[in-house]
Amino acid sequence: MIPHILLQIVVMPVIASVFIFLTRYKTGRKAGWIAGITLLYTTALLCLVCIRVYQGERIYEEYPFGPMINFNLLADGLSIPVALIMNLCCIVLAFYSIHYVEHRIEIIHGELDERTWLMYYTRFFFLFPFFSTGFMGISFSTNLIAMYFFMELLTIIPLYFIMAQFGYSDFIERYKVALMCLFWGIAGATVFLIGILLAYTTTGSFEISSLSALSGNPAVTWVILCMLLGLFTKLAIFPLHVWMPWVHAEHPTCIAGLLAVYANIAAYVMVRVLILPLYNDFKVFGIPIMAMALITMVYGSLLAMAQNDVKRFAACSTISQISYSVLGLGALTIWSIEGGLFFFLSHIMGKAILFSTAGILVYVTGVRDMREMGGLVSRMPITALLWIMGAMMLSGLPPFSTFAAEWIMFTGIFIFGTHGPSIALAIAILGITAVGLTIAYTFWSIKRIFFGPLKPEFANNDKIRDPPVLMWLPLLLLAVVSIILGLYPKPIMDLFHLVLGSVF
Amino acid sequence: MIAAEVAWLCFLFPFAGALLSPVLARIHPGLRDYGALFFSFLAALCSVMFIPYLFHPEKLPLESAFVWLSSPIELKVGVLVDPLSIVMANVVAVISFIIMVYSLGYMKGDPSLARWWMWMNLFIGSMLLLVLSNNLVFLFVGWKMVGLCSWGLIGFYNKDEKKYWIGGPPPTKYTTPSHCGLKAMVVTSAGDVLMLGGILIMYSYARTLNILELYETSSIWLPEMAKSSGMILLMSILLLAGPIGKSAQFPLHEWLPEAMAGPGPVSALIHAATMVKSGVYMVARLIPIFFYGYWVAGCSEASYFFILIAWVGAITALVAATQGMTALELKKALAFSTVSQIGYMMLALGVAGLTISSLEGGFTSGMFHLVNHALFKACLFLCAGSVIHTVHSIYMNDMGSIRKYMPFTWIFMFIAALSLMGVPPLPGFWSKDAVLASTLATHNYPLFLLALITVVITAFYTTRFVGMVFHGRESKNVENLKQKGAHLGEAHRTMVVACGVLAITIIVLGILGLPLEHLLHEGFGYTLIEKLHLPVEHATEMSHLLVPLLSVISVVIGIVPAYLLYFSGKLDPAGMLEKHASLKMLHKFFWNRWYIDSFYYMFFVGGITRLFTSVPRYIENPLDKFFHKIIPSIPGRFYSGGRDILASRYGREEVEGAPAEPVVGTSLGFALLLVLLFIAFYLIAMFIRVWL
Repeated sequence: MIPHILLQIVVMPVIASVFIFLTRYKTGRKAGWIAGITLLYTTALLCLVCIRVYQGERIYEEYPFGPMINFNLLADGLSIPVALIMNLCCIVLAFYSIHYVEHRIEIIHGELDERTWLMYYTRFFFLFPFFSTGFMGISFSTNLIAMYFFMELLTIIPLYFIMAQFGYSDFIERYKVALMCLFWGIAGATVFLIGILLAYTTTGSFEISSLSALSGNPAVTWVILCMLLGLFTKLAIFPLHVWMPWVHAEHPTCIAGLLAVYANIAAYVMVRVLILPLYNDFKVFGIPIMAMALITMVYGSLLAMAQNDVKRFAACSTISQISYSVLGLGALTIWSIEGGLFFFLSHIMGKAILFSTAGILVYVTGVRDMREMGGLVSRMPITALLWIMGAMMLSGLPPFSTFAAEWIMFTGIFIFGTHGPSIALAIAILGITAVGLTIAYTFWSIKRIFFGPLKPEFANNDKIRDPPVLMWLPLLLLAVVSIILGLYPKPIMDLFHLVLGSVF
Repeated sequence: MIAAEVAWLCFLFPFAGALLSPVLARIHPGLRDYGALFFSFLAALCSVMFIPYLFHPEKLPLESAFVWLSSPIELKVGVLVDPLSIVMANVVAVISFIIMVYSLGYMKGDPSLARWWMWMNLFIGSMLLLVLSNNLVFLFVGWKMVGLCSWGLIGFYNKDEKKYWIGGPPPTKYTTPSHCGLKAMVVTSAGDVLMLGGILIMYSYARTLNILELYETSSIWLPEMAKSSGMILLMSILLLAGPIGKSAQFPLHEWLPEAMAGPGPVSALIHAATMVKSGVYMVARLIPIFFYGYWVAGCSEASYFFILIAWVGAITALVAATQGMTALELKKALAFSTVSQIGYMMLALGVAGLTISSLEGGFTSGMFHLVNHALFKACLFLCAGSVIHTVHSIYMNDMGSIRKYMPFTWIFMFIAALSLMGVPPLPGFWSKDAVLASTLATHNYPLFLLALITVVITAFYTTRFVGMVFHGRESKNVENLKQKGAHLGEAHRTMVVACGVLAITIIVLGILGLPLEHLLHEGFGYTLIEKLHLPVEHATEMSHLLVPLLSVISVVIGIVPAYLLYFSGKLDPAGMLEKHASLKMLHKFFWNRWYIDSFYYMFFVGGITRLFTSVPRYIENPLDKFFHKIIPSIPGRFYSGGRDILASRYGREEVEGAPAEPVVGTSLGFALLLVLLFIAFYLIAMFIRVWL
């Protein structure tokens, strides 16, 4: 038995990061591999944990920190699939970044001497593993303050610094957008924290498990409101979504995929912190949440259609897609919640692929405007395949897991709709119709980027071809994972059911 | 008799073929082509093995399934073998195989053959999954996947070279293959998502998705559903949206004419023989539920299902047929004809529930017409593909009198065309006659009249396209080709053989028409009445001769003017149009497809375009300004340190020159504010805690 297995999963990336920093001039070029292999190791550990949890075990490790605050870690059926898939996305993007960061540094700084180059290059991989730590921390925390800590960690260390240093645009614009992201992240987390503190005033504890003591208390509405507001900021629910297109567009594309995870993880937090302990008090918020989700779904789709910038396009689609899982959570039935969480996982896989493929397009062609692309399929067939797969994943087409997730989720939404108030049924029907909009904009983008005649400036350019293997193979493997989960979702749904089935 | 498990192989073989195509392509081109063919052959073989069951319907239905998901929804995934699925699987697998043989010649030398075989096999597999699935979810999976394959195949020539454009000639606009693919995808998806909604509403009452269980438990859940008024009607509309989209029925029929941008075999496979039939299949699958609901459980709302689909079918049949009279592109004429013929099938299925005695007749005639139509339309499309391949033009006025160059193709197409018109004793006659008879049996005369008028128009446009292609005068294009010394003759032998096999099958089926109809009648009747216990009253026998007589007279009425115009050349079509203003107006109306397509482009495409362009302007940008300029500027008045820090490092001008300038300093300010707020809250909370 491996000791402190969950702690290892959370801390190993940080150790790798420190190692990369200390040996930056010696092993500098291998930094990406070090980060990637560390994440592979933690994923292997996650798989072990997953098997044990699947057999019915609950893995719980205690790490007291101070009065009332601790870093206890809990792996159960709810946290382990979420952690596993998020870590998979991190691995894929770590390997993808190996070439991408070289390209970014070249674009930003031009020719550099070896030492300076190594400094920049390792700086990225020094920051990158914190993503994994943050995600794992949020998944496994049992203490609200610990959860808040990991949320802030994510916002400040990897997101802010990577964006500020490796983002697009010129220096000032980059910092500006990074600050904007930081501001929104902190704002969201702070409102969430206010909710935590309000709860604390009543329960006297920061444990998630003690939140259920709030049930029936008049203060609970305020707690839920504050926490929801904080989570909505992260989830980019209309009108709190305005940061998303900016931040996604200016990010280096190799972590833009993780930004979707960063935003969507709040769906998991919502289930863990609000729905599970406070189900009865949370019911009042069901229909308003669904309505807001619906508005955001449609709004995000329309916004995505209006974009010409391939990165902003993906960002707006994230706004729309995240709301799907929120719609599922809002319906508050076991089907829709399990489906909503599954959709969250499927979506981040799809988005990692779509964003990274957008990155490949920018990497190869140097163009971000979809109007200037066209006909690229003849030169970049693998990239086209990846983009089509990403589009299919977003549109919920089988055999990808998004389909299974969408189906399970909408089953719950419709059950709520047919047996609940008629407004819920209307939202359900409008929601499922909005899927049609997703299909329209994703497949339209395929046509715009890859089909039609090849632009003459590309036709004469030999560099327009598929990127190095290390950039596309990890993405393809991620798509395979999604297909496997789509063809046989039973394991993941059984895991969710271990926790949720006992509550509903 | 073989076991139900073999049905799994029907779709697993083509899926395996699709997956292996890229691998085989790397080994050897021959292996790639014949390998793909082999897998579709295996699928056909597996399907054919189930035919003996049709003679023993008492042994059906068979099911083979495994637990796919147990929580939160219990779902056993598997195959369902009953007369309906056997008929559908055979139509799909056998005709697909013939079309695969044809495409061996048609696609020869294409640079993207691996992709071609992959899509084709994936399509065949998905379609077989659709018809064999024992539950509605996997039926829907197959449904979505055939949609995806049709997107891939319609837009197969995705480089949009000018020679693959369809539409025109100017002033009518041209459309590119990738546009057509997108259009098909979007229009059918609109129907698909609604259908999924309908399935889910059904699930939320029935709590099962297994087709047989849905039938069995309908006595429990349908009355339950009827308690909330409007629910059954809503479910009917949502459920029908899928078939209406996929089978190109009014008002979602506008994608199919454009779907002809794909290579010839695709048009034959997807848009004539198989995919568009999936909607008919779906409606047929749902009939027992609604029939039970209306005639046994007494839910009056269930009748709307039948009324809707019967009227949709009849209207589509007429609308599409009129458009077929003016089409200039050969494949588009056939496409309109497909839409129109599927309308007949929908009409037949719709009338099945209009009276208590019409279930067997309507059901059987609809499915019988499906089988026949699949055969003759596949043959027509394949022959059309050969003709287009030879004359290098999609327009019928670029053909003319090519009978002498392509005698075999002419004979085959002629046979298929006669069947389409409904000339006895070809199969089209038997099934169209059955559709008309079952419509008349419901005494719904407006529907019958629409169907009968459509027979006239069908005869007209069929005679027209055969005349324009094979008879009449040689066109300039053909003369040019002859001068250039181009090869004007039969196409590749696999193409001729495939068409020939289909033509011969048509004749055989024509001769066996009545026994075949009887067989289907027995099979479906047994399942519906004995197995599902649906009540049926036997109708009072109608005069046997009335319907065939009317049908033959209508055919003759349609043929005569078309013969004079396009065969014998005694009348000049262009001259007639010039002479009669009313005819000209009518022609324009039909040519512009009743302006439905233009209306959709204006309303939906234009409307959504306007919507999404105004979203950034009126909502997103003001919001952005509010959050990123106005709010930050409030604390910014108290704290401008961030700006100064940046300015001292990078020069004041650079910082101040930046457009969204206040953001920098003020977000720092805001962040600091929040941190202070946080500390304050923390202290207050602690204080309250201690104090309490």
